[in-house]
Amino acid sequence: MIRLRNIEKVYEQGVNKTYVLRRVDLDVREGEFVSIMGPSGAGKSTLLAILGLFDSAWTGEYHFWDAAVHRLGKKERAELHKSHIGFVFQSYHLLDHLTVYENLDVPLSYKDIKKAERQAMVADVLDRFQIVGKKDLYPNQLSGGQQQLVAVARAVISNPKLILADEPTGNLHSSQGREIMELFKRLNDEGTTIIQVTHSEQNAQFGHRVVQLADGWVVKE
Amino acid sequence: MNTFGQDIRYGFRMLWKSPGFTLVTVLALALGIGANTAIFSVVNTVLLRPLPYANGERIVFMGEWSQQVPGMSVSYPNFIDWRDQQQTMERIAAFRSANYVVTGGGEPERLDGRQVSAGFFEVLGVQPALGRNFTPEEDKPGATPVALISHGFWQRRLGGDPSIVNKQLQLSNESYTVVGVLPQTFEWQSPVDVFVPVGLGAGNPNMTERGNHPGMYVLGLLKPNVTVEQARTEIKAIAERLAVQYPDSNGGQSAVLDSLQARAVQDIRPALLLLLAAVGFVLLIACANVANLLLARAASRSKEIAIRTALGAGRLRIIRQLLTESLLLSLMGGALGLLFAMWGIDALLAALPENVPRLLVSGIGLNTPVLLFTLTVSVLTGLLFGLAPALQASKSNLNETLKDGGRTSAGVGRQRVRNVLVVAEVALSLLLLVSAGLLIKSFMRLQETELGFNSDNVLTLRVPLPEARYTQNGQVENFWDELMRRVRALPGVESAGLTRGLPMNGGIESGIMVEGQETTNPKDATVAVNLYADPGYFKAMDIKLVNGRFISEQDTKDSPLVVMVDEMFVSKFFPSADPVGKRLRIGGDRAPLRNIIGVFKHMKHYGPDEEDEGRVEIYTPYRQVPQEFFAASNRSLWLAVKTKGDPTSLAPAIRNEVLQIDKDQPISNISTMENIVAATVAPQKFATWLLAVFAATAMLLAAIGIYGVMAYSVTQRTHEIGIRMALGAGRRDVLRMVVSQGMKLAFIGVALGLAGAVLLTRLMSSLLYGVSATDPLTYGGVSVLLATVALLACLIPARKATRVDPMIALRYE
Repeated sequence: MIRLRNIEKVYEQGVNKTYVLRRVDLDVREGEFVSIMGPSGAGKSTLLAILGLFDSAWTGEYHFWDAAVHRLGKKERAELHKSHIGFVFQSYHLLDHLTVYENLDVPLSYKDIKKAERQAMVADVLDRFQIVGKKDLYPNQLSGGQQQLVAVARAVISNPKLILADEPTGNLHSSQGREIMELFKRLNDEGTTIIQVTHSEQNAQFGHRVVQLADGWVVKE
Repeated sequence: MNTFGQDIRYGFRMLWKSPGFTLVTVLALALGIGANTAIFSVVNTVLLRPLPYANGERIVFMGEWSQQVPGMSVSYPNFIDWRDQQQTMERIAAFRSANYVVTGGGEPERLDGRQVSAGFFEVLGVQPALGRNFTPEEDKPGATPVALISHGFWQRRLGGDPSIVNKQLQLSNESYTVVGVLPQTFEWQSPVDVFVPVGLGAGNPNMTERGNHPGMYVLGLLKPNVTVEQARTEIKAIAERLAVQYPDSNGGQSAVLDSLQARAVQDIRPALLLLLAAVGFVLLIACANVANLLLARAASRSKEIAIRTALGAGRLRIIRQLLTESLLLSLMGGALGLLFAMWGIDALLAALPENVPRLLVSGIGLNTPVLLFTLTVSVLTGLLFGLAPALQASKSNLNETLKDGGRTSAGVGRQRVRNVLVVAEVALSLLLLVSAGLLIKSFMRLQETELGFNSDNVLTLRVPLPEARYTQNGQVENFWDELMRRVRALPGVESAGLTRGLPMNGGIESGIMVEGQETTNPKDATVAVNLYADPGYFKAMDIKLVNGRFISEQDTKDSPLVVMVDEMFVSKFFPSADPVGKRLRIGGDRAPLRNIIGVFKHMKHYGPDEEDEGRVEIYTPYRQVPQEFFAASNRSLWLAVKTKGDPTSLAPAIRNEVLQIDKDQPISNISTMENIVAATVAPQKFATWLLAVFAATAMLLAAIGIYGVMAYSVTQRTHEIGIRMALGAGRRDVLRMVVSQGMKLAFIGVALGLAGAVLLTRLMSSLLYGVSATDPLTYGGVSVLLATVALLACLIPARKATRVDPMIALRYE
């Protein structure tokens, strides 16, 4: 599904070059659950941003299924992202002034989906994640775990093939974190490919394999 | 008091720390306050200040009234009856224009004079600086001629001779004894050189006949505690009694009475009030912008405020601190505004139409009332734009703000206030733009108005022949024949003519009776603008002939009497027949019949905005003026000279020709026809361009307001935009989101502004010509213009929003 070859990311400041990622090669098959680990500043989040097609300032080859991402323009990358990738953040990033229902509707509103169909999809997700009772609440009326649950629901609502999660349990206490990881496991079992960045060995156990990064290099796979 | 001083010190320090913010704010306020000060200085002097006479607020103006001529002058016998019968006024006095030529002691000079009844200066509360006022005995036929002279004339012509009183003055070849010199400060509606008693000529037929209205009007000084309304009721009752008593001359007539102040300002008042409202709106918009800036600043200062609160400051104390800063800003704006106002007043005075009476304009400047106004406006402005942000800022949640580590966030309430301010700005500027649009359209209509003549390259001037030297009809006719022969022979002259009255200045109105269509009561006769001219005048003015022929050299005093009529006449009397060959009488049923020889295109004798209904115009040959009036009517004629090049360059040559014929004969009122036309639309031009400038300023401020709110909103929403982009929003989605947010505010503002414009522009309908106050094209055009400007103002922050990098935005925390 994903094939990275020789990916490099550099920040240039005058004559100084700072490498964030160096010659990264990575293959992820469909249905895999991969954990990316490493110390702070190792390049984990940068790698995730490249995988999520947010970052285009890198060199190397990136194949997403049959699409050669490195040759795609901005628009096509955005389209690819929109159709196949869901994102879960450490800080949930729900929109404060929107209700749970409206937050779930946001990604659908950026696709050409009719309103009736969107309503059905949101209802389905609310039901699947057992948050129907919370649909009219605002994020600040939910606990951290509940907010992350909504964030995951939002990430999967348009049935992405790939979920990228950046330390999804970083802000949660252990029991809430565990619930979220079990949710990821279930989604993975249902066929969704998941790549998560985590500091937690315990969370990494939920995945199939771990990719270790240090100073921008893949040091262990 | 101690803490107040601390607030001021701290306020100054805060403003000093943000020089950019302080500069922009003070500049915006200075523009708003300066414009208000400048306009107020004019409004205060012209509209609010009592006229510069003792008891100026008690002086009233009177005229006669009839259905056909609502502002008629007063006949002398009627004036005497009013004077003797009225009870509500301490005294009343009459005045009329009269021009004189002064000779002796230098070049002959034409003087602007007034004939006034005894008591005129007592009504105005004016005491001569030298000598005395007229006595009632001097205001009678046969009395020794006396004169009061103006300070200016005394200085200019008589070298300020301190012993002038009781000396003789030669006015139009008659000797007058100077009884006094008026004070230097005395001003009348226009400069006057000499005053003489009106009663000296009261024995002349034009004064003794009750039905004759000799261009005379009446002033009165109300008794204390008598209202204008009471005096009006009384004078109308007297006039109506006279109408019953003298039905032949006074039938159907009444009187009008108004305060002199109201009368003097009636033409300029609507324009000034409109401009005052306009600058008020501009200041409000500037306030809204500053309030928006302060709200943004308050957001970034929420931590400081939270810390102050944590240290024990109460809400009132915080509000006071913030309001002190606002007041400092507005006072600085006011101080700079005064500087702007000084320039503004100079510009306003230069642009003020010349036909605004001088006595109203004198004294415009930065005087005490104006300075007090500026101070009040500055303080109110500071409170106005400072209060909402101060209240908002003082409400900040201590816990949240401190926990947040100082990260700023746009409170929903704060954003709502900002939105309301922007909506108000757009609505107000739409209102101003609609008003300016209507005035511009109206002014364009005025400019396009078919005047009935061509004012290009026409020099106009007046030659007033003194009665004492030109007593015989032949003398008068010979003078004009000789002058016109000489003028037409001058190089550069295409054609030249004579007339009793030029267009734009109104004209003498006479009743006409068409043969076969006579009215039973002569009072019901159609009133026509009755003009006479020589054949050359029609060519010089390029008057259009519709039918028949123009007056020619063959139309002399010995040939059949003829008259030319305008299209208005034709549509009134002969809508479906040829009027040429028909006959009419001018001035009563005993007047001789005249043959209609031609029809000319209607001319605008009352200015481009005259209402055409009922303004029938007729021309007769000046040589056919009845012999008994010939010399009197034709002593002061106007010349219209069509030139090949610059018309003003011919004035010296014409003056020279006049002096060649009569070395004591002055010429006056030298102008071009173009200038005469321009002067009639000067008040509209003045109001139009000033309002256009204010409306453009308002639009610019509103655009800056929208830009500011949207730019701030984008900064505040960077995080949200980042999330949305991470969730799949494209550049276009983000652009649409930001633009639609801004345009929603703009559209609400436009809708409210349109509603306000429909309600308020009705008040300016007196300033409009040829365009309705609810002209859909202007409303539509202005809405589209403002919406486009709003769109541009939204696009800049919207484009910035599309460049948000989702990853950076998400790491924002």
